[in-house]
Amino acid sequence: MKKLNFTWKIWMLIIILLISLVSIFGLPPRFLDKGILITSVDQNSTAFNEGLRKGQIIISIDGKKVNNIEDYSNIITEKLPSEEKIRLNIQTKDTQIILFTNTSPEISVSNLPKTNIKTGLDITGGSRALVQAKDVQLNSDELNDLVDITRNRINVYGISDVKVLPVSDLSGNNYMLVEVAGATPKDLKDLISQQGKFEAKIGNETVFIGGKRDIQSVCSSPTCSRISSCDASSNNNNFCSFEFVIYLSEEAAQRHASITKNLGINETASGISGRYLDKPLDLYLDGQLVDSLLISEGLRGSVTTQIQISGSGNGPTRQDAYVNAQDSMKQLQTILKTGSLPFELEIIKLDTVSPVLGDDFIKIIILAGFAALIPVALVVFVRYRKIKISLALLLTSFSEIIIILGIASFISWNLDLLSIAGILATIGTGIDQQIIILDESKQGANLSIKQKMKRALVIIMGAFFTGIASLIPLWWAGAGLLKGFVFTTIIGITTGILITRPAFTDIVKKIEG
Amino acid sequence: MEEETKQEIQEKTQEKVKSKKSFGEFHDKNYKLLLLIPLTLFLFSIIYEINFYNQHNDFMKKDISLTGGTTITINSEIDANTLKKELSGKLEALETREIYDILSNKQKAVILETTTNAEETRKVVEEYLGYSLTEENSSTEFTGSTLSKNFYNQLILAMIISFILMAIVIFLIFRIFVPSFAVIFSAFADIIMTLVMVNLLGMNVSSAGIVAFLMLIGYSVDTDILLTNRVLKGTEGTLNNKIYGAFKTGITMTLIAILSVVSALLIIRSFSEVLSQIFTIIFIGLMFDLLNTWVTNVSILKWYVINKQNKIK
Repeated sequence: MKKLNFTWKIWMLIIILLISLVSIFGLPPRFLDKGILITSVDQNSTAFNEGLRKGQIIISIDGKKVNNIEDYSNIITEKLPSEEKIRLNIQTKDTQIILFTNTSPEISVSNLPKTNIKTGLDITGGSRALVQAKDVQLNSDELNDLVDITRNRINVYGISDVKVLPVSDLSGNNYMLVEVAGATPKDLKDLISQQGKFEAKIGNETVFIGGKRDIQSVCSSPTCSRISSCDASSNNNNFCSFEFVIYLSEEAAQRHASITKNLGINETASGISGRYLDKPLDLYLDGQLVDSLLISEGLRGSVTTQIQISGSGNGPTRQDAYVNAQDSMKQLQTILKTGSLPFELEIIKLDTVSPVLGDDFIKIIILAGFAALIPVALVVFVRYRKIKISLALLLTSFSEIIIILGIASFISWNLDLLSIAGILATIGTGIDQQIIILDESKQGANLSIKQKMKRALVIIMGAFFTGIASLIPLWWAGAGLLKGFVFTTIIGITTGILITRPAFTDIVKKIEG
Repeated sequence: MEEETKQEIQEKTQEKVKSKKSFGEFHDKNYKLLLLIPLTLFLFSIIYEINFYNQHNDFMKKDISLTGGTTITINSEIDANTLKKELSGKLEALETREIYDILSNKQKAVILETTTNAEETRKVVEEYLGYSLTEENSSTEFTGSTLSKNFYNQLILAMIISFILMAIVIFLIFRIFVPSFAVIFSAFADIIMTLVMVNLLGMNVSSAGIVAFLMLIGYSVDTDILLTNRVLKGTEGTLNNKIYGAFKTGITMTLIAILSVVSALLIIRSFSEVLSQIFTIIFIGLMFDLLNTWVTNVSILKWYVINKQNKIK
């Protein structure tokens, strides 16, 4: 057997290639893993209370192996829902969890990802919104506050897999970018665009507003927050009322006392159930009256910190009204907790991409990649008529793709369509440069191979720096939505200049002798 | 047998040298005249663009991603033409097209683009379809018009900065005015001719399309750097030999790029508008790059080198 006589540059390529493969597939490789991944668990559910969490991997249920979501749904639909509670023995990768339930577990699951490669919203589906303040330009402090409040709201609301980022562009405009992977919460739009200005007023006087200063805590547990009643007001119109308790700060409670002190009694509204003050507590959300609460006589002038807030939801059926009331309640609670924003917001871009076409997309892109490689292989072989050289060229280019994907997986970069275009562009320039190396190696009979390679390097460095220079402005253009392209291309051409091109030069030296 | 092949090879090379020589002579006589071809095209392009700008108040026709509006993709087999006919009255500037999976040749979805806002569009479409659009059966993308306008201006600005940075790098590499200018002029000619072609084809350029123009800067400069480097820094052979050597390498590079782009385009065309527009623009650009590198740049460079040689003599 011939001794492997590789130079350090070739070894470096091989080692980095191996590291990239580990970064893409994991160690041990992820495609060997069996089971399904829990992508979310409803809070306050049996599943959650028993310890099922997002990110766990279910391997088997009641001893039956679960290899994919079909297995899972087959097992679950066979047993549930049932009349009586049954025992469900869920084996995850790390623990065993036993559920007693008569409904399907309140979790969503997906097949295990086969690689660490993450794809962007425009491929896997999800939503993205770009938000801007209406009529004012935010400075970076204000923008960061906005991002914090929005993150907070989203957390309170319990949506997972959300990225909220401040972004700015070439002309100094500031935006907030919100990205949700996978399923889109249906009220995302309200959640991020709402100024969330909550005011409780008696007449024209503000008693308290949403946020930490006036509101100490908001109760959202079932003991003190609930849908209290549902009624059908007419055909096709149902109402459900909700109520929950909030605790005011000392200061806000004092204000309540001094405002209510001077109020009279409303004789018409007062009845057997009690006597009420002549002005109600009006609740405004973003300037809209949400509800008016009658204040009972006993509260007149008292420093009370505990206040019951109520409101309602409606819908064509009782079920719809119930859900609507629940949503409104959650929204109001969120706003009371997080406070309001000092400016109005405007969604200037909102994309909701269906995940349905994602798999087809990946298939087509891989296919297009191979289609692009065939002419490369053909032309190179026809031109040089040497199997070894042609193979070396193709393999080097292929290793470049692996390294780019490896780096992207390592830092969890989401590859969107433009990132993929960037990878294709890099491979194109990579092949071009390898051809320059090959041709330079044949030029000038009286030069040593080392000198020839040096000449090739000058050309390649020139192309590299023009490439980098032309890419940089794009990083900031278009509110950062084109970063994917810039990122993969720069990673690609830098990998080329530092790793693959030097290695290829040495390979050519070896082959050409 | 070995000798026979050797002889054959020799004969072939001789023939090659001969044809190379006669082409070399032709080129020596006419290279300045040849420059007229790209120059005429360049002039035509500039006039066309000025005219285009006067008519449309812009350099190109833009799609929804740059003008603002709504794109809805419905994952269903709906005929694009019928859809367009039925909804044109209700949605502004409506365009529709179908998406196919090239392997099964089955329609995967229909896309409609309009400048009407997202909520209005969804309402109209849902009314027509008779069911509501969810994220399972559709995608909706909305871009506000202020943002898209801003987006467009930024991209154009980015492109101008890119071009200037590229020009600076080229000057730094070669440090001589005429050859550097030749490279930069060729790249500029590439972009302007591609732009004219895109306009002639009636394409609506998306933000990805502008990124493609930017990629073109990089692609077109590659072969020009190769050529200039070989001619100015090469040590052996005549001027024509150096140019021919660079041509052989450069044409392989561009040919591979063109064939790759076309094959990828054939597959992706029916599926992704974003990627197909990128590939189409790069394809057009590469074609013009052939002309601008091997005629424009070669002629200017040759002129410069011969002039310098004459001065030295």
